[in-house]
Amino acid sequence: MTEHLILKNGVVFDPMNGVEGEVMDICVSEGKIVEKAPSNAKVIDLKGNTVMAGGVDPHSHILGSKLNVARVVSPDVNRHHPYPATKKTRSGVAGIIPSSFATGFLYSAMGYTTVVEPALPATKALGAWEEIEDIPGLDIAMLPLFCNSMISFKYVQDGDISGLAAYIAWTLKKVGGLGVKVVNPGGTYAWAYGKNVCGLDDEVPEWDVTPRTIMTGLAEAVQELGLPHQMHFHPTNLGRPGNVHTTMQQLDAIGGIKPSGKKKEVVHLTHMAFDCLGVVEEGMSNWKDVASGGLTFADYYNKHKHFTVDLGQITFGQSMTMTGDGPFQHSLYLLTGGKAKWSNIPVDVELPGGAGIVPFTFEPKSPANAVQWVGSLEFALNIKDLWRMFLSTDHPNGGPFLKYPLLISWLMSKKQREHWLGKVHKFASERSTLAEIEREYSLNDIAITTRAAPAKILGLEKTKGHLGLGADADIAVYGFNPEKTDLANNPDLILKHFLQTEFTFKGGLQVSKKGIVGKQLHSRVISVHPELNQDLSQRIDRELEEMMSKWFSHSFSNYPVPKRYREHLEMPTVIDSTAVKA
Amino acid sequence: MTEANNIFNAVPCTFCGCLCDDIIIEVDGNRIVKNTNGCAISKERFIGHAENRCLEPTVSGKTVSLEKAIERAVEIITSSKRLLIYGLSSTENDAQREAYRLAELTGSVVDNTTSVCHGPTILGAQESGEATSSLAEVRHRSDLVIYWGANPAAAHPRHIPHYIRQPGEYIKDPKNDRKIWLIDIRETTTARMVDRFIRIEPRTDLEVIQTLRALIRGHKLDVSQVGGISIADLEEIAIAMKSAKYGTLFFGLGLTQSWGRHRNIDAAIRLIQDLNAHTKWGLLPMRGHYNVSGANKTSTWVTGYPYAVDFARGYPRFSPGEYTAVDMLARGEADALLNIAADPVAHFPRSAVSHLTKIPVINIDPKINMTSQVAEVNIPAAIAGIECDGAATRMDGLPLYLRKVIEPPEGVIPDRDILRMIIKSLEKVMK
Amino acid sequence: MNSGSVYVLVTSGRTLSQGRAMEKGKMTSDYEDAVAVCELDATSMESLGIENGETVVVKSGIGEIAVKAKLNKNLHPGLAFIPCGPYFNYLLDSYTQHTGMPGFKSLAVTIDAAPEMKISTIEELAKKIKEGK
Repeated sequence: MTEHLILKNGVVFDPMNGVEGEVMDICVSEGKIVEKAPSNAKVIDLKGNTVMAGGVDPHSHILGSKLNVARVVSPDVNRHHPYPATKKTRSGVAGIIPSSFATGFLYSAMGYTTVVEPALPATKALGAWEEIEDIPGLDIAMLPLFCNSMISFKYVQDGDISGLAAYIAWTLKKVGGLGVKVVNPGGTYAWAYGKNVCGLDDEVPEWDVTPRTIMTGLAEAVQELGLPHQMHFHPTNLGRPGNVHTTMQQLDAIGGIKPSGKKKEVVHLTHMAFDCLGVVEEGMSNWKDVASGGLTFADYYNKHKHFTVDLGQITFGQSMTMTGDGPFQHSLYLLTGGKAKWSNIPVDVELPGGAGIVPFTFEPKSPANAVQWVGSLEFALNIKDLWRMFLSTDHPNGGPFLKYPLLISWLMSKKQREHWLGKVHKFASERSTLAEIEREYSLNDIAITTRAAPAKILGLEKTKGHLGLGADADIAVYGFNPEKTDLANNPDLILKHFLQTEFTFKGGLQVSKKGIVGKQLHSRVISVHPELNQDLSQRIDRELEEMMSKWFSHSFSNYPVPKRYREHLEMPTVIDSTAVKA
Repeated sequence: MTEANNIFNAVPCTFCGCLCDDIIIEVDGNRIVKNTNGCAISKERFIGHAENRCLEPTVSGKTVSLEKAIERAVEIITSSKRLLIYGLSSTENDAQREAYRLAELTGSVVDNTTSVCHGPTILGAQESGEATSSLAEVRHRSDLVIYWGANPAAAHPRHIPHYIRQPGEYIKDPKNDRKIWLIDIRETTTARMVDRFIRIEPRTDLEVIQTLRALIRGHKLDVSQVGGISIADLEEIAIAMKSAKYGTLFFGLGLTQSWGRHRNIDAAIRLIQDLNAHTKWGLLPMRGHYNVSGANKTSTWVTGYPYAVDFARGYPRFSPGEYTAVDMLARGEADALLNIAADPVAHFPRSAVSHLTKIPVINIDPKINMTSQVAEVNIPAAIAGIECDGAATRMDGLPLYLRKVIEPPEGVIPDRDILRMIIKSLEKVMK
Repeated sequence: MNSGSVYVLVTSGRTLSQGRAMEKGKMTSDYEDAVAVCELDATSMESLGIENGETVVVKSGIGEIAVKAKLNKNLHPGLAFIPCGPYFNYLLDSYTQHTGMPGFKSLAVTIDAAPEMKISTIEELAKKIKEGK
């Protein structure tokens, strides 16, 4: 079913094409933005509405075993948030870790159309594809984890970047991934020994590799392959006061990698709110002395162009922390005095130590939480180039994706920030400069940091994040007139409009109206299939069969996700990686 | 998939939660003639797949067409006010997903066999979290493996020989570098396969676990024995657990079904969490039915909850003890039962079974079982993992693709297709 | 009360033959042979005055059922074992302590020798259940 549409008279924000608040018509045909729609096109008058490309979220945990473990362990967080079925849509629960159908619907209602699951244990990819069947209305991509695998370690140890690149290429093809995720390189592996790593050159048990050689090796392999999305990086020392310095050291180390294509960025630092904590002057690395690292990191960001960032903003209230950083999750459990419900999931040799899950409530009156909250805002309001940054809560870690409107309100409205500074612990004001910051994001800035920049960062800018010709007709229409609405002084309007669009279109089809989802569309999966030269391809087949047969507990031939689960969903982009030497 | 001369390699066995996927199946015509690598039960499952089959749909004991059987099933469903959909653990994920759709459409309760196996494990995890382990990690690293209230020799025959008593990357000699212990109230066949058997008194699991926790935390206890084990022995066990490099606790229904239920599991989880302050430990439930883990997973992503889900209000609600099958039947609340790939008449206590003999039952199963005897409608199904493909989840969460190695008997279709037919007819009726 | 009675906790669980027979099919004599059994320790066998393979009747608070006695030398006195299945469940009440889980382990029962009793076949048992007996 294809629809032709003319969306007339909307006020359009399309920063990728230099459109900032212009009244214009948008024509849609066969799921794409076109110059002119056929004469039988349906016309919708959007006079007095704000129009943007569909939102792009490159970092949101929407599927996989860690999410299911969280749902199983904490039914309480969903209990009071039913999502009833309608004639056209399935039911579910819509708390901080919504069920699959509800996840898709809630994103549609918010105007988001592309979402990336940033932590896929490749051995469990089959289950992820099955889940996607039940997450409607989105284009979805997945980032397999490579950072703590013995196979990665073997290639890194041998200095064999070609082998490492080939292993990545093989995996992306066999399980349908978009890029490379790295979580606490070496540290999650060390967790299999009950240990962690912190320094760049710390030893990893049993292997002649270090966090430095793993992260630089993987970043280099990503460049060799020419993957559209740079290495997606969760550094070591997550959630440790003062870690802004070790994060900068790690970014420095990766900064030595030469970009292979046009894109200058070689690494994406994710959820900086958890990675860039400062300490007060002469303070120690503990929660008593924690201070905002936002200014320090903004300064570093403004001076160094080799990386991109997302916020991982904490939003207060109940959240569900889940990372592939096993030791971090255990330390969080210890932080609660062993009272929290701590879960840990090891995932075979692919990722010894694996994911951890701890339900967590961020309290406004907690000094540590208040400081963490303020740090990422201070960063976002002090950076010059918004094209290297996107908004996230690291759903559901810093809070659910449903809190994006709240995050937008903090960035767009000084009034809202003042209101919240009054609610949270005084350290937020005393240990940051937020109170003095005048800057308020414009709607254009929001359009950059919620669709245009994230699309570029993912390397999907051809079809995503904008409304130019040839783009996918993923469109969010917000029910306010930007010329007449003073959002900065009415933050409640921000919360209202960004939670529920007037219309959301996915691939030219209207999926929701005034927040009510009326259409259940199958999602699609965006993946990258790097083609290797024949020699390298043969070598990796042979070497992986040998290693996987030795290290996995299941058969080598049962690793790939069968076609039957993929072919009706997957939109693979084949890239030429034949230049990677055998 | 590798297929040559009717030989299928790397086939996952669909008997228990081990999902051993190194099975070689040889097919001759429409018969499976050989199962290499499988355990005795696996062999029975594959080679005996054609025995005791339900081959034709029946209504009230009379053979009918599939369409007629579906028609009667739909009548039962539409005239029911409180339908219970149950089973689902011995079938593949897609069939489970269709069952949730049916439950949502009809406002029914859907429960899987978890409620009578590891339901308490889930309840325990809801109290305390769950620090799990994985079979590969155990093989490569675990130097102390404890089975508690589990009898893998009978229920998971290859668990020890295939996954545990094997050399791993860092356990070169599994006989000496890895110790396997068993704690149980009974000296089972498994006791003969392990390095040490520790017998405890029935109904004392919780006390023994809490005692170990106290000892591991360094407390002194002024009793001489707990659960029939002397404090000196318990102290020695606690020390051994603390000094393991990587310990693993596999626990079975001896913990979940016994005195204490979920409290046993809650305590076991806390024991493992406590041990992680000293060294590395994980635990794993010995999941019985090959895809009961999958049933929890699919139910969780579709409804938000792992089992015991009610759709009466048009959205999922979770309440074990209320929407669990045994309780629904024993209270006399369910007024019809749709049973898929399970045998409640054989496996439920008497008053629950007695109620289900009084209500209309639709039974979907490949074989004639005890539930077939009381069901008004019997619909034969293809055996997942033998006669149709699908996906299932191993006890440690690993998903695996199941194979179709042979055609089902003529006219017999997979569970998922039967459920789709029911849904389609229902949608017509409900319009 | 019969002077030869023994009072034990009976637990149910899996056995290899139960598993094999279940896979083959429940309506087979293999299955009946595998599950209509009560494993007893030597002391209990002796006080009941029975030999391996003789019939015993197991009585719980809600009913009684005849099964075949089987000597298990490794069982500790005070504990008996019946493989999970319809014979054990015939004796079991449905109380789940509001957890969904009945008490499949450690059910208090009385066991007597019952040479005169016939063990119901699976079909007979199914019929008995159906008739609400």
